[in-house]
Amino acid sequence: MSPRVLDAADRGARPHLWRFTPLQRTLHALVIVSFLGLVFTGLPLHFAAAPWARGVAGIVGGIESAGFLHRVCAIITFVYFFTHIGSLLLRIARGADTKKLLWGPDSMVPQPKDFRDLFGMFRWFLGLGQRPRFERFSYMEKFDYWAVFWGIAVIGSSGLLLWFPEFFARFLPGWVFNVATIIHGDEALLAMSFIFTIHFFNVHLRPEKFPIDLVIFTGRASAGYMIEEHPLEYERRQQAGTLEGLVAPPVSRAAYLWSLALGFTALSLGVLVIVLVLWAVLH
Amino acid sequence: MRLGTLTGSIWRGAFVGVLLALAAAPLAAAQQVVCEKCHGNRDFLMGRRGGGPDSSLYVPAAILADTRHASLRCADCHQGYDAGYPHGAQAKVVPCQTCHEAAGRDWAGSIHATNAVTNGDAPTCTGCHGSHKVYGKDDRRSPTHPLNVAATCGRCHADPGIIGTYFATADKAQARTAVAQFYKTVHGSALTRDGLIVSATCSNCHGAHLVLPADSSASTVNRRHIPATCGACHVGIAEVYDRSAHGVAYARGDTTDSGKSAPVCVDCHSAHEIVRADQPQWFLGVVQECGTCHEHLYETYFDTYHGKVTHLGSTLAATCSDCHTPHDMRPMTDPESSVYPANLVATCARCHPAANANFARYRPHGDHRDRANYPVLYWTWRMMTGLLVVVMVFFALHTLLWLTRLAIDAARGGAAGKGHGEAPAGSETRS
Repeated sequence: MSPRVLDAADRGARPHLWRFTPLQRTLHALVIVSFLGLVFTGLPLHFAAAPWARGVAGIVGGIESAGFLHRVCAIITFVYFFTHIGSLLLRIARGADTKKLLWGPDSMVPQPKDFRDLFGMFRWFLGLGQRPRFERFSYMEKFDYWAVFWGIAVIGSSGLLLWFPEFFARFLPGWVFNVATIIHGDEALLAMSFIFTIHFFNVHLRPEKFPIDLVIFTGRASAGYMIEEHPLEYERRQQAGTLEGLVAPPVSRAAYLWSLALGFTALSLGVLVIVLVLWAVLH
Repeated sequence: MRLGTLTGSIWRGAFVGVLLALAAAPLAAAQQVVCEKCHGNRDFLMGRRGGGPDSSLYVPAAILADTRHASLRCADCHQGYDAGYPHGAQAKVVPCQTCHEAAGRDWAGSIHATNAVTNGDAPTCTGCHGSHKVYGKDDRRSPTHPLNVAATCGRCHADPGIIGTYFATADKAQARTAVAQFYKTVHGSALTRDGLIVSATCSNCHGAHLVLPADSSASTVNRRHIPATCGACHVGIAEVYDRSAHGVAYARGDTTDSGKSAPVCVDCHSAHEIVRADQPQWFLGVVQECGTCHEHLYETYFDTYHGKVTHLGSTLAATCSDCHTPHDMRPMTDPESSVYPANLVATCARCHPAANANFARYRPHGDHRDRANYPVLYWTWRMMTGLLVVVMVFFALHTLLWLTRLAIDAARGGAAGKGHGEAPAGSETRS
């Protein structure tokens, strides 16, 4: 058994293959930090009547500091959001792979196969068929990706309204701030509920991967992992002879430990958030 | 009117004093010498009574020198003492009310007088004013000087023994803390910390002589008289309050459906726990106070950003009084109301300087559960909740079925459920 057996992406047949670019990994780390920051500074306000609300706000020095940090994390969110959009536009501007970006096996755009896979998974759950075999991105990963897109658009725009009400009141009637308050809080509740349960399960906690999958931090996964999680991509590259170019050195011990620390911290904080939400809802 | 009464009694007192002094001057001078023989001789008294040098019988005539009674002679108050020595049964002290008629009348109607009949601890004149060293209440040495009143009242009202003996069980808890609480209030700290003698002390609210418990309808601290009592100093506030929705309802004696009467000063400011309105503990407290009657507005306030950050301890966001004013609250149909539609922009602009007519269309008590009045909020909330439920239920199902499938496969020892720890068939394994 490998000493790095905790990392689902480090188990199984070698070699390691590159899966995420340094920019993608950096942006995801920013997503984690800013999202957790937003959640912990926004949750006390959403559940102001909860018994833990003052305590959680107190961790960062009270609700007024929490409000400040919430806006700092919002800025980080906008930064990674527009950096990502910019990087996509840059790729399109270079013209090399616009079509592949928008359609086909490497695209994030939902394909007919994704819907077939979703039904296929349910058939497999019910013992009515084989487990679907995924391409570079499964429908779950695409859902996560577009959910963040949708979430930032909805939560970000409603948040901006509430951040600068006097400015937006130049064009919009004041009751949109009432609407924005409901949308901002409830959409955020959906985002955290989904990320800290479903995303955590699909990516880290399901038995095939338990306890953690560090591919988004280290950027690389074992061939064994790829064969199991993304067999169609693996086979496609094998046939095209492009696997060789993806071979990556094993992750350094330091990078592994840092990834593990960040991953487990985020997982624990996420689970804590779920506990707080349930506590507040059932209180 | 109070000032008039006071001036009147001073003049009457002075007049009587001067008359007495003029009429009895020659005789009194002679008497004075006689009294002094014994009562000005410390050694004599110690021998007679076996008491210490501070025995109350040691009363040299000079003791009155700089008091309000400087012009009086011993015999003005102590009559019948010249019939023989030691003084006989006919010797008696002239009641203070002989001169101080109004004060005497007021005291006679007070709770102190009622209790003086049955308990020896209830104060008569001398209990608060002293016996021989009677100074005016503007004299720093007087127990009735504004800076000394709380301590004077506190001699009994902060004494657990006296409270335990004489107070009704229901009142004991409040009575025990009343004086200590007072020192912490804005009134008390103005006196003790800032030395401001214009600040209210016990007697300003409870009266000096006609002290009555709050449940007595004649008491200055009875609900019926609170606005007038506080308004005696807070004149400007009383004027505004009288014209406000609360003041008008109070004057008419209106009550709510649940029988609550309109709020008077102490309902929001309490009595012995008065805090400054810029202190953090004020903010949540006043909202809760408004909420005791305005229950629905209280609830919806806490659904908003204003309410939530206030609940969590911020003092920056608006509370009730920021929009509705502290004392001039009026219904939104009143053109003079801060929340009358035409006045809303100015009201919002007190915190949001760039507020415009659009801005003022924010609903600070918007209620997403109220479908009839806030359909947009209601349907937004339903839609968002629906989205959350649909997404979470779908994926919860997805997850639970997944786990079930893996568990079934694992129980069967099948290959479908294996994890990455096991190499897939056909691939090389080096782990």
